[in-house]
Amino acid sequence: MLKGKGVSSGIGFGNIIVLKKVERKIEKKTIGNEQVESELERLHEALNQVIHETEKQMKNLSGTEADIMQAYLMIMQDPSLISETENAIKNSKYNAEYAVEVGFNSVIQIFENMDDEYMASRSRDILDIKDRVLGKLLKEETIDVSNLESNTIIVATELTTSETAKLDFKNVSGIITEVGGETSHTSIMARTHTIPAITKVEGATKIFKDGDSVAINGTTGEIYIDPTEEEKNKLLDLEKQLEEEKAELEKYKNTESMTKDGTKVKLYANIGLPADAEIAVNNTAEGVGLLRSEFLYMDSDTMPSEESQFEAYKQVAEIMKDKEAIIRTLDIGGDKELKYLKLEKEANPFLGYRAIRLCLDNPTIFKTQLRAILRASAFGKLAIMFPMISSIEELRSAKQVLEECKQELDNENILYDKDIQVGIMIEIPSAALIADKLAKECDFFSIGTNDLIQYTVAVERGNEKISKLYTKYHPAVIQLIKKAIDGAHSANIICGMCGEAAGDPTFIPLLVGLGLDEFSMNSNNILRARKTINNLDKEVCVKLSEEILQMGSAEEVEKRLKAFVNN
Amino acid sequence: MVKDKITLKNETGLHARPASELAKLAGSFASTIKLYVNDKIIDAKSILAIMSAGIKYNTEIEIECDGEDEEKALSEIIKGFENNFEEEQK
Repeated sequence: MLKGKGVSSGIGFGNIIVLKKVERKIEKKTIGNEQVESELERLHEALNQVIHETEKQMKNLSGTEADIMQAYLMIMQDPSLISETENAIKNSKYNAEYAVEVGFNSVIQIFENMDDEYMASRSRDILDIKDRVLGKLLKEETIDVSNLESNTIIVATELTTSETAKLDFKNVSGIITEVGGETSHTSIMARTHTIPAITKVEGATKIFKDGDSVAINGTTGEIYIDPTEEEKNKLLDLEKQLEEEKAELEKYKNTESMTKDGTKVKLYANIGLPADAEIAVNNTAEGVGLLRSEFLYMDSDTMPSEESQFEAYKQVAEIMKDKEAIIRTLDIGGDKELKYLKLEKEANPFLGYRAIRLCLDNPTIFKTQLRAILRASAFGKLAIMFPMISSIEELRSAKQVLEECKQELDNENILYDKDIQVGIMIEIPSAALIADKLAKECDFFSIGTNDLIQYTVAVERGNEKISKLYTKYHPAVIQLIKKAIDGAHSANIICGMCGEAAGDPTFIPLLVGLGLDEFSMNSNNILRARKTINNLDKEVCVKLSEEILQMGSAEEVEKRLKAFVNN
Repeated sequence: MVKDKITLKNETGLHARPASELAKLAGSFASTIKLYVNDKIIDAKSILAIMSAGIKYNTEIEIECDGEDEEKALSEIIKGFENNFEEEQK
């Protein structure tokens, strides 16, 4: 068995097709006058083939994907690009292949050198088109991913945008890639189309051969080559179970997020990318409780511009429409590094220079992001959330910078939502302990359990030797959660939670009992959480929470909560 | 030859989608259509020329149409800019 990182859940069985990058050599030849016509003809034939293919793919697309393809089509037919390329044949007497290199590269260079990060990244789109045109000219045998045998499992180093766009999704039962993370384009598309996908499988394109029979588990990242009957049956059972659960949960798409005795809560989604907002909406999320803005910074070679951030936030605002979307400002530093931001190595990164601390210290970075969020707030219902707040001074300073940004936009006559809500993450015990004070100076809280636990019990999340000590059932953690919720309510503001605990059916009854208002979780867990909530009685949950608050041992708490769900 | 001036009101500038709509619209006319922006002359039928000009919000653009359908071309393109090329999106 091989193991990678599961990025799109589900079970898939099928036969492998390996998409290999062909080693390509473009020869530079000088042609005679008599060949000019035929080379021009070859060029146009190749271009037309690619255009034709793209037009066919466009029929099945809508929204952003269709817009991207439309722009591709326009680029392929662009008069300046075509004349550059034609001139390389007509005047410089190059063969069609080399002419494509020359013509396209001149345009790619212009884009690469633009100071606008968004435009600079468009150079990759043109490069992608160039590759396809060259492929046609060289008559390379390419696997037609738009027409696959049923139950195909795709193996590739990484899928390109155009490959993913034309993928014959109904016949793909899984995707395995060597590189790419949870937020790569392929992973998002896989999740959107609910195809199991696993990434970070080193050497996958060499390990697997066309036709290999494999089974994959997109949740755990496990890959079974030539699965035994036993393995197959185990996975089939798991698949059946997943499907039954899914079908059962469908009916919770139409129910309100309310307990049996009428207490309403909000079920929100945690998302890592603008496109994930669509998945959130499909799963009936009532808002976005956490948009991790890190994707903008991690996927980039330079500090992302205000424009590119604005575009991304606007996309989220527009997808969510009148539903709230909370954007967490940059939470980076310590363990998460950025290539273009030189940070000193620290002995205790989790206790160090990160998140709001880094932002307050680098007003340019912080302001760029705040301005982008504010500008995008004119297009929907956005909210701003500051991470790692440990003191009231930090909250005040952050709000001060926000005010400066608002002032700037006012002076520039740029529209934004003047009533934009401003909240903080409660993820440091000191913040939980002064929650009632903090609540008076912001509009909402969101408890980040992952960090709150780590800081409360002094256990680093990633350290396996002590991972047993890391538990949300620790009575101290629960006391702090209660502090945060009560503090919020004393100032009449909402308290949410965006850590993993918020989506855990075992933990939800306790949270309902403590009075949590908003539960934000992975989109795929929303229906399950709604089912849990629909079957709860608030009064019973309050009694349960009172009982739990009396306990002194994490084990006891865990046992009691598990027993509660099983009854 | 006819000319007119507008100011770009699309907050994000002429990014891929509006650029592609503009090029498509311009391409539907027989006239030569040029944009004069910050001393640059841009062929409005070329999405790459439009995008690579990096035209930002609040930039003044002079549109020049020359050819048999110049009047119609000019008015349609002005209309397109006024609507930020939104309608074409549908």
